[in-house]
Amino acid sequence: MHYDLIVIGMGLSGLMAAKTAAEAGQKVLIVGKGMGSLSLFSNSIDVLGQLPKTMKMEPHRQTSDVDTKAHRGEHPVPEDQFTHEQVSGHLGTGMKDGLSQWIKDHPEHPYAKVGLIKIEEALSSFLSLFPPPYSFQAIDNMNCLLPTGAGTLRPTYLIPTTMVGGISFDEGHTLIVGFKGFKDFYAHYVADQLKCRGITLSLPDVPNQEITATALARLMEKKSFRENIGREIKKQLQGETRVGFSALLGMHDPFQVKEDLEEIVGAKVFEIPILPPSIPGMRIFNRFKEWLIQKGVTFLLGYSVSKATLKGKRCERIEVFHPPVTTSYSADRYILATGRFMGGGLKANMEKVFEPIFNLPVPQSKSREDWFEKNFFTGAPHPIHQAGILTDLSFQPVDERGDLILENGWVAGSILAHHHCIDEKSREGIEIATGYMAAQRALAK
Amino acid sequence: MVAAPLPGGALIYATLRLRLRKKLMDKQISPKNNSDVCIRCATCMAVCPVSRVTPKFPGPKQAGPGTERFRRPGEPSVDEWIDLCIGCHLCDMVCSSGVNISELNLIAKAKYLDQKGRPFRDWLLTHSYLYGWFGSLFSPLVNLLLKSSVTKWIVEAILRIDRRRELPGYESSTFRQWFRKHQFRGNHQGTFHSREKVEVDNPPSPPFSKGGKGGFKPHSKDKKRVAYFYGCYTNTNEVDVGKATVQVLEANGFEIILPPQRCCGIPMLGNGDFKGAKKMALYNVPSLLNTIRSGSEIIFSSTSCGHMIKHEYSHLLSIPDAEEVAEHIFDIFEFLRNLIESNGLNAHFKELSLKIAYFAPCHLRALGIGLPVLEILRLIPGLKIDNIEADCCGMGGIFGFKKEKYEISQEIGRDLAEAIDRLKPEIILSDCEGCRMQIRHLTGLKVLHPIQILRDALFEISDGETRR
Repeated sequence: MHYDLIVIGMGLSGLMAAKTAAEAGQKVLIVGKGMGSLSLFSNSIDVLGQLPKTMKMEPHRQTSDVDTKAHRGEHPVPEDQFTHEQVSGHLGTGMKDGLSQWIKDHPEHPYAKVGLIKIEEALSSFLSLFPPPYSFQAIDNMNCLLPTGAGTLRPTYLIPTTMVGGISFDEGHTLIVGFKGFKDFYAHYVADQLKCRGITLSLPDVPNQEITATALARLMEKKSFRENIGREIKKQLQGETRVGFSALLGMHDPFQVKEDLEEIVGAKVFEIPILPPSIPGMRIFNRFKEWLIQKGVTFLLGYSVSKATLKGKRCERIEVFHPPVTTSYSADRYILATGRFMGGGLKANMEKVFEPIFNLPVPQSKSREDWFEKNFFTGAPHPIHQAGILTDLSFQPVDERGDLILENGWVAGSILAHHHCIDEKSREGIEIATGYMAAQRALAK
Repeated sequence: MVAAPLPGGALIYATLRLRLRKKLMDKQISPKNNSDVCIRCATCMAVCPVSRVTPKFPGPKQAGPGTERFRRPGEPSVDEWIDLCIGCHLCDMVCSSGVNISELNLIAKAKYLDQKGRPFRDWLLTHSYLYGWFGSLFSPLVNLLLKSSVTKWIVEAILRIDRRRELPGYESSTFRQWFRKHQFRGNHQGTFHSREKVEVDNPPSPPFSKGGKGGFKPHSKDKKRVAYFYGCYTNTNEVDVGKATVQVLEANGFEIILPPQRCCGIPMLGNGDFKGAKKMALYNVPSLLNTIRSGSEIIFSSTSCGHMIKHEYSHLLSIPDAEEVAEHIFDIFEFLRNLIESNGLNAHFKELSLKIAYFAPCHLRALGIGLPVLEILRLIPGLKIDNIEADCCGMGGIFGFKKEKYEISQEIGRDLAEAIDRLKPEIILSDCEGCRMQIRHLTGLKVLHPIQILRDALFEISDGETRR
């Protein structure tokens, strides 16, 4: 089969690239080995979490075990910049200023190659898939601190409606709710960290058994179940005005689940990000999948690209191996968005880190011994995270001299070099912005 | 192997190993047991339809790679819940580490059931190919009996087949019988030069072909022959699916042959009966291979049969030559989609103003061909088609018939029923007979194979034969 564009990888960057190309009327194939990073990471959209926090965050008075890496509070944004008109823009003033300074300071960073205006466009494009009621929003133009399932406060930028209630919650006036048998969220532990109260509810239908996040999310969609839960919580409320649940308030209509619970409990309800599988990440993935299939994109989930055939500097076709059959697909243009080590975009053997499909050069430390810092929890990012694909300003892969390697190939997402998405807290932002931009650049050529 | 005593021997040994390794690499054999690459990311837990509805099944992460380390050859089975794995392959598809979870589960299930023993019911449900002819021959009586609540009550009491489940009825004339008549009748608007091969074990005769005649002008000029693997259910229970497949292929200028074939074996495999499944595969592979080697590609309309032949025969059952068959067997809509590429698709569709919802069966997803049904049906003017966003219908072949699993099957199906309810379609389409049974059971709506709608868009329905 021949396509206008083939996207390899089904993380956020691949999905964004496919969306951008489909909107331009292209015939698109998206192929991915697995579901990509969305079920592993995304509960909210980080853009640049290490930027200073806003003044609104001050009352939190964090405990020492809260993530102290981000330099919060050093450059508070003046209060007069908090207006609601600016919140409706997809990059609030605070984030805009922060990003433009960041781009000046980091000219090789993927954000610098995308540029401020296109980052904003990309985020708008992402947000357009999530109209209210389940939409994403920035709080006061800037990063906000989101309580996590580990009981920490984590800076992030765009959060789903169902998590808004967790921002600037009042210590002592919040109740954290867990479920017996659900091993990925311990309400008492989280509550201890956040200095509020926690309760663990027993579910009558699952005596002494484990229950998974998806099973709970599914139960939450049953009206009778959430009514029972709601009434039980109301009984146990001791004047708390907010109730935090692990992020599993249903897969399809979490807003409705939240509204119903709020009505029964009589308090504000919010979701707290938890360990994988991420239900909020699944909501994002499912929405993209539904939209892309609706637009006629060929969606090939579950099979990895085993080989790319090149003729000179052009990719002629890719092969997908599904034992015992190998199928070839060709396209005018290809976008590589296979992620880093978890997604299989980068692999490592005893000697080196490499990119398995196109064998693109991966700049890295000379020896394996230098991949990691001696101390795992050292302040600086581990050198292995610098490994990534070099590109020109158009996101086309180049070698170390800057010469173009693939004339009809573009690269997007966390596989790119020159960022530290974990440390910067910029993973989703980079994926959205570069996925969007790589597709635009590919279509323009 | 014992280390060679001489340096020369060591050299030969090393060379042989290298060559073997190279051979293995060349053949791209995927590891049959790769549970160690699991990184415990739990993505599979996000899609498992069974663990979502019952805490009795621990989910793919624990059931597959998690328990694999406790499974030892020669020791008793450790998997008393493994029978609850529905075999949908969804976990395999979302795994970014490439663990074949459903395969680990299937092997464990076989061991568990081999030790525990299978009830007569399971044998009965997996060997419908043996008594299908009987059902067809006495269909009026059999159907009456199958619908009777007394029969259902007895069947539940004795066999533990849930009485709430409709037992599929038999058609009075099988697909093969229809096909035989069809090829001798020359007055239809389609082209009639199809030919059936009699089901004998002799090697098939050389290609038989006749020039096209009749009212319809085929799109492509040179007549090509394709073979059809129709499957048991099409033969005795849903004959119109077979008719529609033949009619659509003929309308695209193909001559159809029916190679000798038996049940693909997926009911047995799904029940962990590797031996039974192998028996079927060992009959089908040489027959299909003969057809392929005399120049015909094979088409299937049941995605479960197709997935079984294409991907399980070689990999899981190690049937000789199954790789060659796999290269030449295609889903009917995948085949039609490939015709678009070569400008060979007959797209003279009439308008069908219908609101339709399509459900992609698990085995279609596992084929890794995307959703070709949508690509083709979207070409029909007036047809509004939505894709149903749900993971699994819950039928799992014969899973949903078993009394002890009926509730789980229904609970899984409820998510699909809700998704259908959100779309409010007039007709629902699905390529798998199991899904169609389940959706009819869940919704009471009209459920068809997509090829039947495509046929309706190609032909004026004037003659009784084309109608269900």
